[in-house]
Amino acid sequence: MRLTRRRFLTLSGAGGLAAALPLDAAPAFGQSGPVRVGVLAAKAGVTAPVGESGLRGVQFATDRINAAGGILGRKVELIVEEESSPKDTVERFRKLALSDKVDVVSGAISTGVGLALGPAAEEMKTIWLAWDATTQKGVEETMPKPKYSFRSTDNECEAVMASIITARQWKGKFKTVAGINPDYSYGRDNWAAFLAIMKKYGMEIQVVSELWPKLGATDFTSHVATLVQAKPDLIFSCFWAGDTPIFLKQAHAAGLTKSTKLVLTTGGGVHESLKKDFTPEGAILGYNCFYFENPKASALAKEFTRWHSEKFKEWPNYESDHGYFTIVAYKAAVERAAKAAGGKWPAQDAIIQALEGVEAESLSGPRRYREDHIMEAAFFQGLTTHKNRHDFVTIDPVESMTTKQIQKPSGVGLYDWINGWKV
Amino acid sequence: MLFLVAAGLQLVFGVQKILNLACGSFYALGAYAGVSAVRWALGAGLPAPLFLPVLLGAGLALAAIGPVIERLLRPIYDRDESFQLLLTFALVLMFEDVIRFFWGTAPHQLGNVYLAFGQLRIGALTVPTYNLVVIAAGAGIAAGMGWFLARTRFGRIVRATAENREMAEAMGVDMTRVYTRVFTLGVALGTVGGALVIPATAAVNEMGIDLIVEAFAVVVIGGLGSMRGAFAGALIVGVVKAVAIATWPEVEMLAIYVIVIAVLVLRPAGLFARATA
Repeated sequence: MRLTRRRFLTLSGAGGLAAALPLDAAPAFGQSGPVRVGVLAAKAGVTAPVGESGLRGVQFATDRINAAGGILGRKVELIVEEESSPKDTVERFRKLALSDKVDVVSGAISTGVGLALGPAAEEMKTIWLAWDATTQKGVEETMPKPKYSFRSTDNECEAVMASIITARQWKGKFKTVAGINPDYSYGRDNWAAFLAIMKKYGMEIQVVSELWPKLGATDFTSHVATLVQAKPDLIFSCFWAGDTPIFLKQAHAAGLTKSTKLVLTTGGGVHESLKKDFTPEGAILGYNCFYFENPKASALAKEFTRWHSEKFKEWPNYESDHGYFTIVAYKAAVERAAKAAGGKWPAQDAIIQALEGVEAESLSGPRRYREDHIMEAAFFQGLTTHKNRHDFVTIDPVESMTTKQIQKPSGVGLYDWINGWKV
Repeated sequence: MLFLVAAGLQLVFGVQKILNLACGSFYALGAYAGVSAVRWALGAGLPAPLFLPVLLGAGLALAAIGPVIERLLRPIYDRDESFQLLLTFALVLMFEDVIRFFWGTAPHQLGNVYLAFGQLRIGALTVPTYNLVVIAAGAGIAAGMGWFLARTRFGRIVRATAENREMAEAMGVDMTRVYTRVFTLGVALGTVGGALVIPATAAVNEMGIDLIVEAFAVVVIGGLGSMRGAFAGALIVGVVKAVAIATWPEVEMLAIYVIVIAVLVLRPAGLFARATA
């Protein structure tokens, strides 16, 4: 027993050494060889489908860039690592920065992970372009003025947009509201923003139930029973994962979706699972920053949607576009900085400077990074319809708002901003 | 549903003295297999109301992995519990990857079979008939397990083994076979539970892990190794959750663990533990 174990240890030690060697031997820095892009994509748990989706967008962007000759003639090479717990993900970020010597890291979805990655990016002096993972409150405290991190759009954009549509569509047509949102910052922030905007629009509403199921819960029968009892005119929910279809299915079975208005800010992320059988028509449904059947889609978006549905037998969702944008934004910034540097590969500081205010064509139209490192994009929402060729709901008409309308500007608090609206 | 998984956990622990974390994975596997089987059957032209036998069949068929897993666990029967927890937790992670490999990461669900039996109106409430079917199935399985353990020859052997393994072995009981069968039965309870629940929900990868935690609460409340305890514990956890959500949603999880703590302090062996256990 002891002998075999020792033998095993020796062998695995040798194996590890062998695996490590090529890494050390590779001349991975400087201005020759491929551009190395580290990717952090979730592969397990609730965030796995989203991580997968983001990775596909990154892959699509990389394939296109490489087919067109790369960035300033350098091919793009992806080194994919897993996003898991904050601690482990920071370790992998370090590994990407130190051992793989990547030029830039793209990825991360979970807010908890994002809060840990922000300081790590500053410490490692490595550019990090987040997909999501950068919510309002915590991020403002842990990375007030980041140099190396570039953030996604704010947490509440979807709630703000859905609230504006709610006010326009249904003002005066409902009195009692209930919220069922996942019990973490995203759920809490969105619900608070919704209530604040209802108040701003002068709607006299009464909250009859506030439910906070755990993120990733798969049984809502008790919640549905509570909602049936509370009889709200409108239910607001920012469920975004498998929880969305499960809740709708159980709500439908209990007769809850027949007369109740539904606001689903983020459910479009799992759009294919929102089957017509149990998802009613006329609910407000949000698709975040990318809607796969947008009638005004660009040729690029159409090409991506075709590529995605042929390759994966699925219609793409928003996270792909976050992933796609981080790569093309990096390319645009490098080219912008290179122009100033006389065509040479620019220094990292110059790339960072060029990223600030950089604009690039994403799958959902033009996007940019604000000077304070926050992404600007367009969001898509609308009322659900059954009139389509799928077995799940889509939206018609498709409404689009940009972050200029639904994201608080730089340096202003969310609620101060909302209170300053003219309505 | 919780009862089925907890019952599987109880059975395996009672007889084999193994804390099997992987019971949650069997539940998840059962759910995924149920989705695939019913989809396939409906595609082959089966009328929707007949999906129930297909679901049950899928759950039972999957129990075939029981003997294989049991073989894998054999080396740790006499080791410390921490080894058992480690190994069965490793199984949980492996099964999660197995599911990801075969079914991917997106949630899987069955379309409209949930309402294939219609809905019942009780006063102002609308209840899907399928919920009642599941409750009946749970009660039926509980009664069946009771009968099996109390009345059949194999049930007596199982109980004897749980009481005193050496003595049972000395009386000529083939322990290896008993273990394999009991473990498979435990697996079957989990997979059938998962298959039965799926019409009302969607199969997601982490459903197993979520359930394990609750199943352990059930087992602690009911008492390790007791079938009646599993039944009572599952009822208590279910009702407490529902009441908490209806009255004070903040304390949903807390309420369950307050009861767990109360039971641990006042009746450390659980509500239904046998005196000798």
